[in-house]
Amino acid sequence: MTVMIQTRGLAKRFGPKTAVQPLDLDVAEGEFFCFLGPNGAGKTTTIKMLTGLRRPSGGSALLGGHDIQRDPISAKQLLGYIPDHPFLYERLTGRELMRFVAGLYSLPEETFEQSCDDLLETFELSHAADQLVETYSHGMRQKLSFASCFLHQPRIVVVDEPWVGLDPKNIRSVKTYLRDKTRQGLTVFMSTHSLQIAEELADRIGIIHRGRLLHVGTVDEIKSLASAAAGSLEDVFLQLTREAEEEE
Amino acid sequence: MSRTLFSPLGSSQLGAILWAKQRIVRHTLASVQRESKLKVAFVSISAVALWLGIFLLSWSGFGLLGGMSEQALGVGALRLSDLVMARLLSVFALALFVMLIFSNVLIAYSTLYRSREVTHQLQSPITTATFFLGRFYECVTFSSWASAFLGSPVLLAYGLETGAPPVFYLALVAFYLPFVTIPAALGSLITVIVVRVVVAVKGSRLHRGVWLGLAGVLLLALLGFFRGRIEVPSFVETPSLQAVVETLGRTQSPFLPSFWVSQGLLGTATGDLGAGLFHWLLLVSNALFLVWLATLAAERWFYAGWTALGDGAGVRRARNGRGILDRFDAFLRPLPPPVRSLVSKDFKLFWRDPAQWSQFVLFFGIMALYVANIRGARSFTHDESWRALGTLLNLGAAMLILASLTTRFIYPLVSLEGRRFWIIGLAPVTLRQIMWQKFWLSVGSTSVFTVSLAVLSGWQLGLDRTAFALSVAGIVATTFALSGLAVGLGSLYPNFEEENPARIVSGLGGTLNFLLSMLFIALIGAGQAAVLLWGRLAAFVGEDAYPWVVATAVAWMIVLTAVTCLVPLRLGLANLERAEF
Repeated sequence: MTVMIQTRGLAKRFGPKTAVQPLDLDVAEGEFFCFLGPNGAGKTTTIKMLTGLRRPSGGSALLGGHDIQRDPISAKQLLGYIPDHPFLYERLTGRELMRFVAGLYSLPEETFEQSCDDLLETFELSHAADQLVETYSHGMRQKLSFASCFLHQPRIVVVDEPWVGLDPKNIRSVKTYLRDKTRQGLTVFMSTHSLQIAEELADRIGIIHRGRLLHVGTVDEIKSLASAAAGSLEDVFLQLTREAEEEE
Repeated sequence: MSRTLFSPLGSSQLGAILWAKQRIVRHTLASVQRESKLKVAFVSISAVALWLGIFLLSWSGFGLLGGMSEQALGVGALRLSDLVMARLLSVFALALFVMLIFSNVLIAYSTLYRSREVTHQLQSPITTATFFLGRFYECVTFSSWASAFLGSPVLLAYGLETGAPPVFYLALVAFYLPFVTIPAALGSLITVIVVRVVVAVKGSRLHRGVWLGLAGVLLLALLGFFRGRIEVPSFVETPSLQAVVETLGRTQSPFLPSFWVSQGLLGTATGDLGAGLFHWLLLVSNALFLVWLATLAAERWFYAGWTALGDGAGVRRARNGRGILDRFDAFLRPLPPPVRSLVSKDFKLFWRDPAQWSQFVLFFGIMALYVANIRGARSFTHDESWRALGTLLNLGAAMLILASLTTRFIYPLVSLEGRRFWIIGLAPVTLRQIMWQKFWLSVGSTSVFTVSLAVLSGWQLGLDRTAFALSVAGIVATTFALSGLAVGLGSLYPNFEEENPARIVSGLGGTLNFLLSMLFIALIGAGQAAVLLWGRLAAFVGEDAYPWVVATAVAWMIVLTAVTCLVPLRLGLANLERAEF
């Protein structure tokens, strides 16, 4: 098994407050890993440390064997990131934005031409490709950030709550796309509040609460941690986070 | 071998960034077609008129100097006028250079650290050097267009008046880029270092009070340093051209880029191409060195500073009721609750954005320093006509600063409510109340500074009662008028999509606001001038007319202020009431 995401003692403090306690985690190649936790649990901070957008207070994060702090260029070559509120250049067209992103990843011309059209079609944006992004709806923007993320064919994709603004049809197509990609070897690290989607997609789930990773395991393993009365993943999640609060 | 995207532009990543910027500029220019034709026409005509005005003023000024006697200097072949013009060119370049450094520090902070583009670019496999150079290009563009607009008519006028050869005009273009690059590199360098130091101080265990104390001592030392050096030009005391030449000569230093530009341009203007080339190479080599140095500094300190600034967002602010701003809220208690909340919110947003308040402090700080030193000019305080002229110039400067501040800070206030309009839209507050809140916020916050400056200036110059009252009334009226104009036009042409106030201002509406502010200042200034320069005017209209002139100036001020304040507010309110959010 090739480990694509590896954290060792990865921690973050904001002044006296600990946002993420030392985190040890391995995510394998082709695995779909879901990161669950209540608001303010430390999910986004962890993701920002994984993507190099925030410096850890301690520990390390390796992407495909490259330390994101010491060798960020090699690590980011493998990485695709979709934030919860992606920044898009309003005064570029969809196709221009794709070309710009391709330039940032130094893609060859012919690879770009081929991938761009395919991705715009996959995410149903071909009709709006030559319109300015400022005219896009929220859902179209989200789909464009997905399309641009996959341009350079990343081996690891980190996604932070990607479902905001997507309608049920688009949620379905994005889910299918991500699932298919993981079968081809893509590693997905996704933070979400949607327990139903996590239950449906995740190979493994990690539950984080108040900066501490409480449990990691498959959906069945996580479910087995809770009492018999807890049926769905939602019940289990609520029970586990409540117990953690009571312990503290 | 396959061709990488943007490879003709050097690094494909830097090429991609520059290409995207060029596309954005192109789309932005195309979007002007969708703007109101009247607004576009007014802004275009005003811009051309402003450019022509500066050109004609400079041309006639240089013409006046060119006509001066050769014997006055008495140094043989060298004409006095040439020397004065050369020295003026040097002063102009120095003033531009200093202003560019200040503006570049502010621009670099928002471009390198505050922009949302930063996160987007840094998630890609881009080196810090490439990222920095991409952003640096933006800093140079942002900071230099205004200096090109204002500087080109002056230099063209100089070339025409001195009969400079065609190579001089080519040299203008060649000198411009390295000249604006140097302050941009210095500004970025200072910003990267300051941010790194500030975050290190924040993270250090030394008590914050100690750092504040050290900063205070440094500030006082700087003020002391400048206070000893700001001298009143000797030509004010002894108005001879010899003194002018000597005074302007103090700004010359062979270590300043402004000196290299002026000497290089003079060389090309007088046919000494060797001197021109030497100074151009000096400028280019220093520009390249400083860009390299700034890139090196960015590679070393940018990432640590940027991430630490991001971490600052996660640190808890002062406990409720204990922060400076919470204490300030106590002063707002007399206001009705919804208005109090809006004022408090606007102050907090302003205070927590150093890129905003630092400009405010900078503008008024420089002006206060100047006014505080004006007493040193004996001619200003003892000679009636110099005193009147000084008052008029001080008022004009304070009004111009006010115009730039209301345009920069007040005009975008309504637009900035954009995406959050649902919060106040659902609250029991009318749009009229919101607009008036912005208006009073502007009047209240800026009048503290403008009125203080007017009072300080009048006191320093020892004005008589009438002139003192009129100048203070003039600045109060201007504060009301420009606040109403900025809030009104900001509501008439809101940009609810943009979150960056600097970008909101850079649109056509913001430009229109500034131009109309300038027009107002010229019109109100004419009334003030009639009273303050009465000594010269009396010869034409008779001494008896003085009370009538004062009464007319006051009436003119009131009518002009009322129109400039109320008409835009009314139009803006009507526009907001029509809008759908």
